[in-house]
This record gives sequence, structure tokens and C-alpha cells, in this order.
Amino acid sequence: MAAILDFAQIVGKRNTITAPSELRTYECDGLAGFRVRPAVVVLPETTEQVAAAVKLARSLGMPIVPRGAGTGLSGGALPVDGCVVIGLARMTKILAIDLENRRMRVQPGVINLDISRRLAPLGYYYAPDPSSQSVCTIGGNVAENSGGAHCLKYGFTVNHAVGATIVTSDGDVVTLGAQSGEPDSLGYDLMGVLVGSEGLLGIVTEVVVKILRRPQATRTIFATFPSTDEASGAVSSIIASGIVPAAIEMMDKLAIEAIVAATHVDWPLDVGAALLMDVDGVSAEVEDTAAAASALIEAAGAIEMRTPHDEVERGLMWKGRKAAFAAVGRISPNYYVQDGVIPRKDVAAVLREITRLGNEAGLRVANVFHAGDGNLHPLVLYDARIPGQEAKAEHVGGEILRVCLKYGGSVTGEHGVGRDKACYLGEQFSGDDLATMQMVRSAFDPYGVLNPDKLFPTPRLCGDKPGAYTAHPVEISGQAGRG
Amino acid sequence: MMVAGVEPRTLVEPQSVDELTDRVRELYARETPFAFIGGGTEMELGNLPRALDTLVRTTACTGVIDYAPEDQTITVEAGMTIAAVSDVLARERQFLAIDAPDPERATVGGAIATNLSGPRRLRYGGIKDTIVGVEIVRPDGVRARGGGKVVKNVAGFDIPKLMVGSLGTLGAIVGATFRVFPVAERRAALMYAVLTVDQMMSLCAELIGAALVPAAVTGFACAKRGRYDVVVTFEGFARGVEEQMTTAAAIAVRLGVDAEALPDDALAAQGKRERALRRGANWHLTVCAPPTALAHFVATTPFADDVRHAVDPLLGTGYFAAAEFDVATVAAWRTALGGGSAVVNALPAQARRGLDSWGEPPKAALAIMRRLKATFDPKGLCNAGRFVGGL
Ligand SMILES: Cc1cc2nc3c(=O)[nH]c(=O)nc-3n(C[C@H](O)[C@H](O)[C@H](O)COP(=O)(O)OP(=O)(O)OC[C@H]3O[C@@H](n4cnc5c(N)ncnc54)[C@H](O)[C@@H]3O)c2cc1C
Repeated sequence: MAAILDFAQIVGKRNTITAPSELRTYECDGLAGFRVRPAVVVLPETTEQVAAAVKLARSLGMPIVPRGAGTGLSGGALPVDGCVVIGLARMTKILAIDLENRRMRVQPGVINLDISRRLAPLGYYYAPDPSSQSVCTIGGNVAENSGGAHCLKYGFTVNHAVGATIVTSDGDVVTLGAQSGEPDSLGYDLMGVLVGSEGLLGIVTEVVVKILRRPQATRTIFATFPSTDEASGAVSSIIASGIVPAAIEMMDKLAIEAIVAATHVDWPLDVGAALLMDVDGVSAEVEDTAAAASALIEAAGAIEMRTPHDEVERGLMWKGRKAAFAAVGRISPNYYVQDGVIPRKDVAAVLREITRLGNEAGLRVANVFHAGDGNLHPLVLYDARIPGQEAKAEHVGGEILRVCLKYGGSVTGEHGVGRDKACYLGEQFSGDDLATMQMVRSAFDPYGVLNPDKLFPTPRLCGDKPGAYTAHPVEISGQAGRG
Repeated sequence: MMVAGVEPRTLVEPQSVDELTDRVRELYARETPFAFIGGGTEMELGNLPRALDTLVRTTACTGVIDYAPEDQTITVEAGMTIAAVSDVLARERQFLAIDAPDPERATVGGAIATNLSGPRRLRYGGIKDTIVGVEIVRPDGVRARGGGKVVKNVAGFDIPKLMVGSLGTLGAIVGATFRVFPVAERRAALMYAVLTVDQMMSLCAELIGAALVPAAVTGFACAKRGRYDVVVTFEGFARGVEEQMTTAAAIAVRLGVDAEALPDDALAAQGKRERALRRGANWHLTVCAPPTALAHFVATTPFADDVRHAVDPLLGTGYFAAAEFDVATVAAWRTALGGGSAVVNALPAQARRGLDSWGEPPKAALAIMRRLKATFDPKGLCNAGRFVGGL
């Protein structure tokens, strides 16, 4: 096929994948329930190659799906029929470290944790720390506005990724945002909109991130409780006291069981919930806040409290938390992760509703989540081999999102909308809200060729539900004329 | 009520967001050029309007929609002043991280539209970092929301960010939700006297190197050329602040410079000095550059005698004020700043000829901005011509 040969001319044969057996790797992301085989995958190594590949795809009328490491949990990197997947995983260069201005410039395929690893000897780090940080790419983080346990105090990707180079759907190379450490750039905050745009507005080929000085001290507290009610109470009273923990994570009974089975941390099993919390900052403050937080945890009804004796033990505790999803994967053949957000004061009530939904469907639900910012991760356990269970799990997942919306929250706090939650977006936002977002899309990609069938609810994806319809970008740009 | 020195024909003041929405829809339908005004504190920012008939004032829309102290979020209508929001929050010992020079007049909507930014941005982030939701009335009179009421949310495009610094050219900001912060138990500040630019930058490097967490660092240019009084403010729990003050004092000894603790109301003192900077000066400029470039700029630029200024050296922001100034100097500064910018916030009306208030953004990004503006405001009626690139 001429088309595919042409891609190979741009990125080289080695970086062009067409064999069906090799294409299989690219059929899905972390949401393995959805699978579509792309026509071709290209793995460019430079911005110029990305631009040339985009231009070629456009001339061939092929839709384009950007991809990082494929760890996304919402089907964001799911291919569409006849598409070219542009994989950025081979663009792994660290381009510049500027300690004086506390910025670093990297290619999009750099693994999140590698940024902090590279900075560690210098006493600096990159703050956003998704649990997948040892495998996911910074480009994927930018596209998803990824969060992590320590985002409670330090903010999300959008607060740290301040500039980028992108390739637009026309194959143009554009720099957005602050490139070298200036606090703002002129004009509309296009960088702010790019972050979290899930590959619909442009392909990120360079990222400028803020880097932070390691705090003087960090203290970790692990505490267990009879139930999630007391644990939620502890979170609320800590926050109300004015302490801003670096992280405060909650695990329920089932999640603890799974983590203990998978990682051999010596957490007790006869408890209803656990909190894992970090406070960090200047030493004296950390001492005081750790003591104050401990008192509040005790007052909230904790069973037991532990502080790690050394870095190794602390590392193990956090490893336990970060391995939670994989651990749940070992106690259940399948699970479905949700990512809803609620006001944190409502955590206890919403967890009770989630338990009820699980019980009604006869499915177990494990909860392991960012309690400090109300970002829940209910994992609905099921067995796909049992007819009907998968559909039930999806139903429970959907109902959980509706509960989050009922409490004034959001259907996604960090995993993105992607293909998975597109149809729920119309329940969170009005048709006018979504049309406004489509207007933004049309300014970047008037023909909607970048990552189509993601994020926006369309009649084709969701059926003709009233309220879910939004105009196709071409409709809007047609009416608006292209300025 | 002037807009960049131009008098609009009509001023309307809708009494509710619904009425404001109706007004905008009518103006758009009748093809009447319009713009928005809040407290009117920053109306000289931006270029001459290309066309302007009606000015729509937001100051009657002042409701608190939702305040959840436990969640540290507040949702307000955009006509509320920063001071009014602060009063509501103060009852729960919380605050909004927007250091407005004139909080009694500046409105929430205006602060968002102009990306108002102050020295404590260093610690708490700018408006871009603390805004979590927005409600707008598009130029065509359609009401739309983006973001939400919870602090963490990645559903849909980040419309709140798009509104920050958009100068009302994509529509009216009628409501917003912010993440707010607990008022610190203690605040203290240290002033390092008459530092050279090099000493100021060494001080910054030492503060970061010692992993201190200042809430703000501001260098006020002294009467003596090339010298700065640098005020370093700490906020937090008492012992942490005390420890930082001790370390910061030790840094002064190491650098061989004088430092003295400021009285308790350090922030008020700082605010007073900032306001004094602008008093009696017709020209106000904000310079934005990487910290090292800003340092180089202030060290090498031959400022005229009446140019007063202050810099936030760790943020990369400089505030300049002068009675006399000219277009050629603005151009020279922009060239000297390279990738940075010099935005003219205020100037005498007669000096506008030939001046672009903003400077030029990169061409390729500007092309996307143009399409964005054309999509939101295809008839070009909404605050036309005042923004970057004549948008
Ligand atoms: C075990 C596990 C734990 C996780 N924990 C967290 C967590 O704690 N917090 C969190 O936020 N997420 C978490 N995730 C989700 C996921 O890791 C993040 O969304 C991550 O940012 C995805 O990065 P990626 O490189 O794998 O991107 P992909 O999955 O390859 O792509 C994600 C999206 O980004 C787009 N994209 C990728 N690269 C680019 C680019 N260069 N330019 C433009 N668009 C691009 C894709 O089109 C897609 O829409 C977890 C996932 C797993 C499997």
C-alpha cells in the first residue's frame, strides 16, 4: 500500500508498524474492553517527523490518534477505524534543565518518574505523581491533566506543565505558553486549554515543566479505622484545621486486603479503612503538623497509627498504595475503575451509596482514592466469563458517576473522559457548555481529525439522547467562517 | 466611564445575570459593539477599541452562589468585589489568593479577565491555578459553564483557564468558583536592605537552596540606582514561620547584607509600598520574563530618573511606573526582554498613537487565537480590537 510506504519514508521502516500481530499492542489502552485495530502505527522521533506524518495522514484522509504509553484508563488512545496512531513513546529526550529558572524541557515520551529521577541528584523533583508514574509519559500526562496523590498540595499537571510545542491537525508546529520560566505568555491561555484536552487539540512534541526543590522534611502517617466513616471524619478535621497535607489517601477494607495479598506490606486486615498521609515542608512546621494531624486522627476514632522508621519503610507504604489497582487485579479476574469527584465533605455518604449500588448488583467494590480532594476510585470487581457480569459492572460504574453528579461533583478527576465517559459528559454539562468546548476545538482542529469519537458525546456514540447532542466542529467553524 | 480612553455611547447595568444575558443577546442580534466593565480599575489596559457603543457593567451581580468552607471552595457572581468575597471568607478564616491593589473596587470578573497577579502568587499560585469553574455569557448571548465546583476535575476542556486574561473578548465572565486557602496562623517578613541585582538573585538562590517556602519575595528599587530593598514574607504555622525567619536571617549574614524583621502587618506595609509605586504616575507597565532574564533586564536597562519599579524576582514579574514615557522606550524594552513581555497597563490617552499595549505573541499561536476569537465572536462585536494582535 502506497500510504503505508509513505509513512515509512517519514519515520523509517523500523518506526512504522503494519503487521497485524504487532498492531495488536496498539488496539487499546488501559481500558482493554474497547479494541479497534489501527491501519498503521508510526513512532516518530522528532517534531518534524510528527508534522510530516500528520500532513500525510491528512492528505490520505486518515483520522489521527496520538498515543503515549497507552496506560490511559478512559480509552483516550483507543484507535478509530482506518486511523494512524502516532505514538510518541520514542521521543524520550530530556532537552534542557534550567535550575535557575526552575524549568525543564522534555520530549513527550519521557516517562513521568524519569524526570524526578534525573533531578534527584540536584535536589529537585517534578510534583505530579500519578500512580502509573513509572510507565506513563509526560505527553500523556499533559493530554489527561493527570493527577496523583501529592497533587492535593502541589496541584495537577496543569499547574506544572507551563509550555509546549505542538503539531496541529494541519501539521503546523506551534509553541504555546511560557517557554523559559516567565509566569505568563501573551494572549489567550492556549496552554491552559491544551492541558487536559485529551489529544483533540494538538500533538504535544515538547513540554516545559516546573521543577520544585525537595522539601526539607516529609513525615508519613499510616492509620487504620473501624470504617470509612471515621477515616472520612479524620480527613475532614485535618483539612478544617488548616493543615494542607502533601497527600492523604484512603483505602477501604477490600482494597487493603488486595494490597496486602499482592505486596506483602504488613497492614492489618481486621480494619474497615486506612489512611496514608504525607505532610511536608520546612522541618519545624512538619513536626508540628504531623503531631497535630496525629491527634486529630486519634480523636476521629483511629484503631492504630504508624509512622515509618526509615525511607525504605516509607517507600514500601507508598508502593503499597500505588500498586492498588494491580493488586485488585489479582483478587478479581476483571475490574472496572471509576474516577468520579465529589465535594470532600460528602465522602462518607457517597461511599455508603457506592456500597449499596454494589450490593444491589451483587458485585464487590473496592475503594482506594485521593481523599483530600474528593477524587474517588471505586473499582467494581467482576468476572467477564460469567455472562452478564460485565454489563452489570458497567451499569454500577455509570450509576456511581450519577451519584457524583448528584452531589455536585464531576465524572472524572484525572483519568479523562476519553471514549469511556463521553456519554456521561452530556449529563455533567449542558448542550451549550459542550458547544462552547466544540468551538475551542474548531479553533485548533476545524475538521475534527485529531482523536475523533473521544470526549464529546455524539448521537453516533450515545444514541440520540436529548441534551447530549453537540454540533460538529465543522458545523460551527462553517457558521463562524475561518478567521 | 472610559474604555482605553474612549467614551462609550451607552452604559447599561443589568440587575441580574439573566438580565445581563438578555442584554448581550440583544446587542449581538442588533450588531451593536459592546464591552464589559467591572470596578473599572484596569480600563486603560488594552488597545483602542475598534468599535464601541455600549458598555455593560457587571457590578450589580454580586451574589454568593455557594460557599463550602469544608471543601475550601467558593462560587460567586463576577460583579462581587475582591474585598466583599474576602469578607465572606474571613468569617471562616479563609482567603482568596488574589492580591488586588484596589480590592474595594476590583471585581472577581475583572480580576479574571485581566489575570490580576500579585506577589503571593509565588506561594498560592495565580488565578489560573486557583480558578476551578467559570460561567460566561458568550458574545452571542449564550450562557455556558466550564470546569465545576470541585477542586479536582478534568471533564471537558478547561474553559476557566481560557477566560483568565482574555480581557472580556470571548464574552462576559458572570460567575466563578475558586479554591480558597486557610488564613495562616502567623505571618512574618524580613527586609534585606539595598541589595545589588546580583545579591538579590543570590538571595533567591539561597532561599530555594535552603528549601524555604516564602509566600512572597519582592524587591523594591531604591533611590540608589541598581539597588533593591528585598522583602521576603513567610506565612504558615507559627513554628515553621519562626524557623524560616531564623534561616533567612542567617542567609543575610552569609551574604554579608543587612536584614531586619518587619512589623507584623508586613503584607499591609508591602501593599502600601506597591501603591506608592504607582501614585502620581500615568504610565504603568508590567514586565514578565524568566527570572534570570528579568534580573539581566533590570541590571542593564538605563532607566530614566522618574521610573519607579519593583520586581518579584522568583516569579519573573516587574512592575514599573513613570510620569513620562514613550512608545520608543516600550519597543526597546520589548526587544531587550526577548522572549519576555512588557505590557502597558495604563498610559495617558494622547500617548496611545502607534502603541500596541501588549507586544507580539508568536505568530503561529496568534493564528489559533484569531480562529478562537472568530469562532466565539464571528461578528467582531465584543470588546473588539483591544486584545493581543488586535483581537
Ligand atoms: C495502574 C494505573 C494507575 C494509574 N494511576 C493514575 C493516577 O494516579 N493519576 C492519573 O491521573 N492517572 C492514572 N492512570 C492513568 C494514566 O496513567 C494517565 O492518564 C497517563 O497520563 C496516561 O499517559 P500515557 O502516556 O499512558 O498516555 P496514553 O494512554 O497513551 O494516552 C492518553 C491520552 O493522551 C493522548 N496523548 C498521549 N500522548 C500525547 C501527546 N504527546 N500529545 C497529545 N496527546 C497525547 C492520547 O491520545 C490519549 O487521549 C493510571 C493508569 C494505570 C494503568
